[in-house]
Amino acid sequence: MTRLVPGANAPLVNGPLQVEIRYTPISGVDIDVSVFALSAAGKVRGDGDMCFYGQPRVLDGAVQMTEATPGRALFSLDLSGLAPAVEKLALTATLYENKARFEAVAQLSLSLSGGIEAEIPTSGMQETALILGEFYRRQGEWKFRCVAQGFAGGLEPLAKHFGVEVAAPPPAQAAPQPAPVVPPPAPKSTISLSKITLDKTRSSISLEKTAAGFGEIKVNLNWNKGKAGGFFSRSKSVDLDVGCLFELQNGDKGVVQALGKSFGALSRPPYVQLMGDDRTGALAGGEWLHINGTHWSEIRRILIFAFIYNGAPNWRETDGIVTLYIPGQPDIEVRMNEEGGTFGMCAIALLENDRGAVKVSRRVDFHQGHRLMDQAYSWGMRWSAGSK
Amino acid sequence: MALTLQKGGNLSLSKTDPTLSKILVGLGWDPRATDGAAFDLDASAFLLAANGKVRGEPDFIFYNQLKSPDGSVEHVGDNRTGAGDGDDEVIKVDLSRVPADIDKIAFTVTIHEADVRKQNFGQIGGSFIRILNELTGAEVVRYDLAEDASTETAMIFAELYRNNGEWKFRAVGQGYAGGLRALANGYGLNL
Repeated sequence: MTRLVPGANAPLVNGPLQVEIRYTPISGVDIDVSVFALSAAGKVRGDGDMCFYGQPRVLDGAVQMTEATPGRALFSLDLSGLAPAVEKLALTATLYENKARFEAVAQLSLSLSGGIEAEIPTSGMQETALILGEFYRRQGEWKFRCVAQGFAGGLEPLAKHFGVEVAAPPPAQAAPQPAPVVPPPAPKSTISLSKITLDKTRSSISLEKTAAGFGEIKVNLNWNKGKAGGFFSRSKSVDLDVGCLFELQNGDKGVVQALGKSFGALSRPPYVQLMGDDRTGALAGGEWLHINGTHWSEIRRILIFAFIYNGAPNWRETDGIVTLYIPGQPDIEVRMNEEGGTFGMCAIALLENDRGAVKVSRRVDFHQGHRLMDQAYSWGMRWSAGSK
Repeated sequence: MALTLQKGGNLSLSKTDPTLSKILVGLGWDPRATDGAAFDLDASAFLLAANGKVRGEPDFIFYNQLKSPDGSVEHVGDNRTGAGDGDDEVIKVDLSRVPADIDKIAFTVTIHEADVRKQNFGQIGGSFIRILNELTGAEVVRYDLAEDASTETAMIFAELYRNNGEWKFRAVGQGYAGGLRALANGYGLNL
């Protein structure tokens, strides 16, 4: 067995390689392990050079992520299957949204086929993104070096270090950021590695359409089904409904929601569909609204809202989260962590067609019902009472 | 002709390259791209008498004492980050000016504050040390520190020594603990 300290290297066995990363999970903070395939210049050639949770099989299977569970990630490498242009593979770990530093990870270790082990000394580490180690070619043979260096700024500077242009602007930083410059050898990436939370300091983001287009946009609403226990608790499950107001470029307007059974449609206008109704929030999945992104050009705006159909509106306790999944773009999260008073309707996020881009704005404002919300947003529709 | 350094191997400079009278010791590395303390490598030279020790403090050529009194060894200057292409630190040796009672010149490379900064050569990308013929620019020998001295923080890289009237070069490649101070005291200084 070979034990490597940071900086040390060792030759690798021939043939397929299993790489196991083990760590002590931190509650509430995911650790994402990834592999970047790099040229001699130390940069990726394109999107296909990154193996991570969103793209677990790359380079014709030469690099595959075969497991990613809390505390353990497993990669399968076939180094002989890599093109000669790939000189190095960088194995990295990042703490989701920089919610913690690596000093909080009690144990972080690597294990490679052929008996190579490395323990990463995380004590005192201020980094939130780490290069754990590198696989590299040396005089015709593959070797592994333990690195254990990284960035306090997290995924953003890490990706940039490898020539990846992350699609979205970085989270609020002390110094203003100049417009990102694409380094000549690295193409502009259409894969985004970051997940973004819209909040009061950054309440909107515009996503430009990529060559691949927007595809099927999935909007998820999830929440606490209701607190049990506690002396004065009411233990009532909260039924939240997701819905949206839509307005098309041709002026057609309407609502997609379970109330009145206006489930919408994907392949024809309004190109928005409600996918079933979870009345208890018990399903891990919550509720889903899908938008047909290939027809985004025909849509002017969509207002995503949540409506408490039954149960007392305690919005803060409901702990609702709306997540937007747009292919090739960062996941966008909007937390409904505001007090809503007695109003049963919360307008959560507004999607606007901003010259072809999808502009997402966090709203989280509360209204007594559809008509008043409509008025607040000048939607201009007529409303009458309905039931489910 | 560049040779791969073999530990303990030696070669006659006169035979390898008869023109060799002025040599350069070049030290290079990549500046740190990741967060943390900068990588600061230091090249030093020790002029040693027959007993393997310096005659006095002026025989220790390093970032705070750049030139030997006889002008035979000169350090071109301290580079504290590795910025710049090619050799980041250079020590020049004019073999024809080395005093007669100097039998050997030892060349070392150390990581500044290695213990405090928790750095070893393996973490310093692109780190190397080499010897060049100053007149022709030919590389005589090169040592890949990051690769072959990865867990070390200081190293005696090579020695030039007199043998039967001619200069010979020995590849040492010996790691050393304790940094530059320990190295200097090993050569008879008292720092």
